[in-house]
Amino acid sequence: MPAPDRFSRLEATRIVATPAALDAARWPAGAVVLRIAPDEAIVTGAVAPAAIEDPHAIVARETGFVGAWMEAAAAEALLERACAWARPAERPAFAQGLVAGLPVKLWLDVARVLVVAPAAFAHDCEARLR
Amino acid sequence: MILDGQPLEFRPGDTVLVAMLRAGRHPTGGGCLCLAGDCPHCLAIVDGVAYVRTCQVQALDATVVIRQLRDGPLPPLESRDRDADAGAGDATGVPVHHRHCDVVVIGQGEAGRAAAAEARAAVGAEGRTPDVVTLDARDGQDVIGIYPGPLVVARTSGGMLHVMPRREIVVATGAAEIQPVAPGNLLAGLVTARAATALAAAGVALGRVVAIGTPPDGLDVTVADGTLVRFEPHGPSGSRIAAVVVRDAAGAERRHACDTVSIGLGLTPRDGLLRMGRAFGARAVGDAALDHTLPPCPAAGTVCPCSAVTVEDLDSVHGRGFCELDLVKRATLAGTGPCQGAACVPHIRAWLASRGGVLQPPFTARPVAKPVTLGEAAAGAHHHPTPRTALDAEHRRLGARMERLGGWWRPWHYGDPRAEYDAVRHGVSIADVGTLGKMRVSGPDAVALLEHLYPVPIASLAAGRSRYVVLLDERGYVLDDGLVCREAETRFTLTFTSGGATLAELWVRDWADALGTDVRLLNQTMSRGAINVTGPRAGALLARAGAGALPGFMRHAPARIAGVACHVYRLSFTGEPSYELHHDAGDSVALWRALLDAGAPEGVRPHGLQALLALRLEKGHIVVGQDTDFDSTPRRLGLDWAVRTDKPAFVGRDAVIRTNRVPLDRQLVGLEVEGEAPPEGAVIWRASNDGGDPPRAYAGYVTSSAHSPVLGRSVMLGWVRLHDGALPDALVVDGRSARRVATPFYDPGGDRARA
Repeated sequence: MPAPDRFSRLEATRIVATPAALDAARWPAGAVVLRIAPDEAIVTGAVAPAAIEDPHAIVARETGFVGAWMEAAAAEALLERACAWARPAERPAFAQGLVAGLPVKLWLDVARVLVVAPAAFAHDCEARLR
Repeated sequence: MILDGQPLEFRPGDTVLVAMLRAGRHPTGGGCLCLAGDCPHCLAIVDGVAYVRTCQVQALDATVVIRQLRDGPLPPLESRDRDADAGAGDATGVPVHHRHCDVVVIGQGEAGRAAAAEARAAVGAEGRTPDVVTLDARDGQDVIGIYPGPLVVARTSGGMLHVMPRREIVVATGAAEIQPVAPGNLLAGLVTARAATALAAAGVALGRVVAIGTPPDGLDVTVADGTLVRFEPHGPSGSRIAAVVVRDAAGAERRHACDTVSIGLGLTPRDGLLRMGRAFGARAVGDAALDHTLPPCPAAGTVCPCSAVTVEDLDSVHGRGFCELDLVKRATLAGTGPCQGAACVPHIRAWLASRGGVLQPPFTARPVAKPVTLGEAAAGAHHHPTPRTALDAEHRRLGARMERLGGWWRPWHYGDPRAEYDAVRHGVSIADVGTLGKMRVSGPDAVALLEHLYPVPIASLAAGRSRYVVLLDERGYVLDDGLVCREAETRFTLTFTSGGATLAELWVRDWADALGTDVRLLNQTMSRGAINVTGPRAGALLARAGAGALPGFMRHAPARIAGVACHVYRLSFTGEPSYELHHDAGDSVALWRALLDAGAPEGVRPHGLQALLALRLEKGHIVVGQDTDFDSTPRRLGLDWAVRTDKPAFVGRDAVIRTNRVPLDRQLVGLEVEGEAPPEGAVIWRASNDGGDPPRAYAGYVTSSAHSPVLGRSVMLGWVRLHDGALPDALVVDGRSARRVATPFYDPGGDRARA
């Protein structure tokens, strides 16, 4: 069973804004941007509210998720077993859905995969995804 | 290989069945063996798994087989403890592999191979070679069902395989040989024609072989021309074939002594998977697409060997009006056993056609097509995970008894619920309330949306203020309750109950979409922690933790406490001054520990849900879901004050106005009894004076109950029916007189909470 690194709490920013504002946002260098909905994104690290051109945007520090990086091959082996839905073929790509019965978000990069889940399920992630 | 506890020789390449037959042992005692996985006559317990077709399993040195004799006991149910969270990560321990493809071809005989080649050659508009998955039972890929999706599920040596084809399912499963139905058809020594050929090739001694119908290929046999009459055993109670009797064209019976009878009655398509998958576009090729040919109508004998249904049984149910194939199945259980009708359906159709003259199609096929273990059936299924707050480990470290409550793991108590209660009433205590639903609303239409959702004025709520609200559905029933807290002109935070947060989020989002409002919505239930600091010394503790000025009752403000950025909500669910410290979940542990440290001089201790439920009950606060029913209106709950029907519009307004005109039929009321608390759910009786025995009538039931240390009696909330237009005063609960009293039971003026 391929095992990801231990899941640890992500330090991120959660943004809800108009889709246009999210499309136009300039994200910090090196940040992973998980566009979880047309009007919502989770961005690793800190994002200044001023970066979002929507006066009504909600920009909040987000510490409610855990994440773990996996090597791409190991991730694919895990997902082939634990994930019933087809992942996108292109890289990088974002995908989300149930994996081993857990609500998981995936950042699928060329060489590695970031597996993200609500911290409330960190215990289950350790048990089911390792 | 071990058979029934004894070593059994086998040859390389033998299946378990062939090894048994070479030793003169029939797996189930008798019945016509097909060697193709169709019949139910070779079932046995193999390596602890019952109902395994031994013709499909290779014999190995370590293979342990226990025969499932037809007249023997049922195999025991396997009872093996598994760690639900171990290894493979699901509840079964059986791994699942997922495969997405364009086409799946089930069966790799001649027709299946041709279908796979054809599918691969059909390059689509996207210009790539289609991804074709082939499955074949002979390669250890036993398809057990086709489900909506479509999803093709196969059992393999490496676990369960879930194949999800995007384009097509091709069924190329071939055809099965028709089983014989005649008296004695469950004797040993009967094989199908193909099986006879295969057994001879495997070197199994068949002795004198008599063929009924088409003879087997390559064998020297005696062909018994005529209509099959019966199979005769060695002696009246013998279990092995001694002779087969046929009736010739002249009507005379002819007896053929034999050691083996080869049955060649024709083919019937193996189309169970086709019938399962037809709704999902499955198509059949090769013999699986054959028309169903019917054998001669059976006159006597066992039709369904799985469920031991005889021709006499068919006569019996038909005489009682079960004249359709599906009804015969339900009445007799024919077709419901391990072979799922492969043996019996052709004969029952022939039998029904002879009775009614109408040929009925085979009955509906449903998964599973072949016996599977419970573990295999449940493979890939996972327990619904129960979330844990950021403080879960802290609670466990403190020795909390954790329970699943409101959809979360929560501390029920920390070992001394009475001391926890006393800490709140007389000192200070903290509690993890991070499970509360928390949602932020922002946008130019935020006020308009909330005005529509809630039955109290929102626009007039000043920034920094909170208001208790109920959430109503269109019928005026209470869905949830919580707070609306205004942060700024167009920004709000909403709170919901722990158990109702998910529904409430859907409700808010649905209405935001339906109304076309320009708002941003963010559910922070799992992202924000919340710790309630409550008790007469709550302010003192927070001062020790570095809090500056704290908000007044039903107000809120940001604050930095013990170095953690918090938003403080002043309210009271316990009846004492309470400050909910909302903060980023990542800071929960630090804040929790800091509060315990800072509160040590105040004697702080955490309290669990057991204490909290008693505390709030003393205040008469309802818990939605526990004290409410699906049709609880604000009036029935005594929450009329939380609804302003003079508002021009809100969800549920029309229903509230309409139902308010109807006489009240029942109400949630406060009750008191002396002594211990009656159990929640206890019946509330109305003491009647009509001379009945017993002198009481059903009046309702208790929804919440706890002994109140501060009051010295037990207090309850419960539903009580009105009698003659009024709430009865004389009630009986748990065999004791109960008083109906106004709520709150404790501090009715609310002075302590506001202190």
